[in-house]
Amino acid sequence: MSILLLILAILPIVAGIIIKIMFVPAVEGISVTGAHIFFTIDLPLGGLPITESQVNSWLVILSLFFFCLFLTHDLKTKDISKRQVIAEWIVEAVDKMVLKNMGDFFMGFGPFIAAIMGLSAMTSLMSVVGLFPATSDINVVGGWAILVFFVITYYKLKAGILVYLKGFTEPVAFFAPVNVASEFATPFSMAFRHYGNVLSGSIISVLIASVLGALSNLVFQWLPEPLSSIEFFRIGLPAIFSIYFDLFSGCLQAFIFAMLTMLYVSNGFPQDEYFKRKALKHAKENKK
Amino acid sequence: MNELDVLSVNIWQILISLFNLAILYFLFKKFLFARVKAIVAKRASEVTAEYDKAQKATEEANEIKASWEEKIKTADAKAEEIIQAAVEKADNRSEVMLYESREKAESIVRKAKADAERERAEAQATIKQEIVDVSTALSEKIIGREINMDDHRSLIDSFIDNMGDE
Repeated sequence: MSILLLILAILPIVAGIIIKIMFVPAVEGISVTGAHIFFTIDLPLGGLPITESQVNSWLVILSLFFFCLFLTHDLKTKDISKRQVIAEWIVEAVDKMVLKNMGDFFMGFGPFIAAIMGLSAMTSLMSVVGLFPATSDINVVGGWAILVFFVITYYKLKAGILVYLKGFTEPVAFFAPVNVASEFATPFSMAFRHYGNVLSGSIISVLIASVLGALSNLVFQWLPEPLSSIEFFRIGLPAIFSIYFDLFSGCLQAFIFAMLTMLYVSNGFPQDEYFKRKALKHAKENKK
Repeated sequence: MNELDVLSVNIWQILISLFNLAILYFLFKKFLFARVKAIVAKRASEVTAEYDKAQKATEEANEIKASWEEKIKTADAKAEEIIQAAVEKADNRSEVMLYESREKAESIVRKAKADAERERAEAQATIKQEIVDVSTALSEKIIGREINMDDHRSLIDSFIDNMGDE
């Protein structure tokens, strides 16, 4: 059962590699392009292209879903397995982080933060196995940032629309346009930060690969014909660089995105006004 | 056009991505956090129940211990009582036995005395008779004649009686 679920968790990634090999043409030379479009569904507003970003995102979601099932099936209260230790550790670590950064009012944010980190890290890490990292598509991270923006606004509105609108006139009414602009800048900055970092990582990886290829040609041009065309420097070396750009940067960006979400939501929430309002409401109900 | 541009915005893709995150949130909530939290809560309640059980057991043990201590205390008193009763009983019995044996001894002595008395009386009677007989015979020989036996007998009897009295 566990093994089956673990296989099901890995299978989507394997499927992604197979899809890439079968449908995505190999890129010749140095080129930085977006995701490959498999087909386009006719819809207004430009149609919906089903691209590598979408497919890879879904594969990651499937993989994470099965991984969750793998971790949490057959939980026990005694004699717990290693799987359960990992599952409990993940939940505890995320909850602790949420508590530290957002306070106990936002304890329900654990799954959301875990989802952001898991999805972002996993989609970025897909570049390790040579797949297109969906986070280097602005539409993907844009969607997340907009969702986060909705969540931020929802919590800002919790203390009433008047408090929300009044928040824009602080410290003085004169700043209102700036405040509105900065409000909408939040999702943009989040999306572009994440997208830009992952994309730049990809670009740097491509550049390093090409530079190493050129260097290899230069150094080994004295070798006889079939050997000189092999780019020796491109064997292994780019992988070392990609440890930083794919592994480290991917995880770091996921962490930053989650951190910013937590900070924006908890900072935007007018806690004092909310509790004052709640107390008032409570008092009114008691009077009745 | 087979590839997206590096920077291309498509509202549907953004929406899909938005819902992807929302879906993963629900999946994590339902299949990771809810499950783990449920099991952790269950374990916590089990631990509390176990503690309660242990406490109850300790209390019960203490109660039993107290009752036993009480019992032991009363048992000591009871043992003392029993011993007291036994001693008393033994005392009584020994007294009775002593009394009985004394009685018995006395009766034996009395019987022996009576026997001796009776035997003495018998012996006295026999001796008397013999003396009478002997003296009669002697007298007959001395006097040489038949004397009135009855007279003679009464005479000697009185003599002997007198002799005995002296």
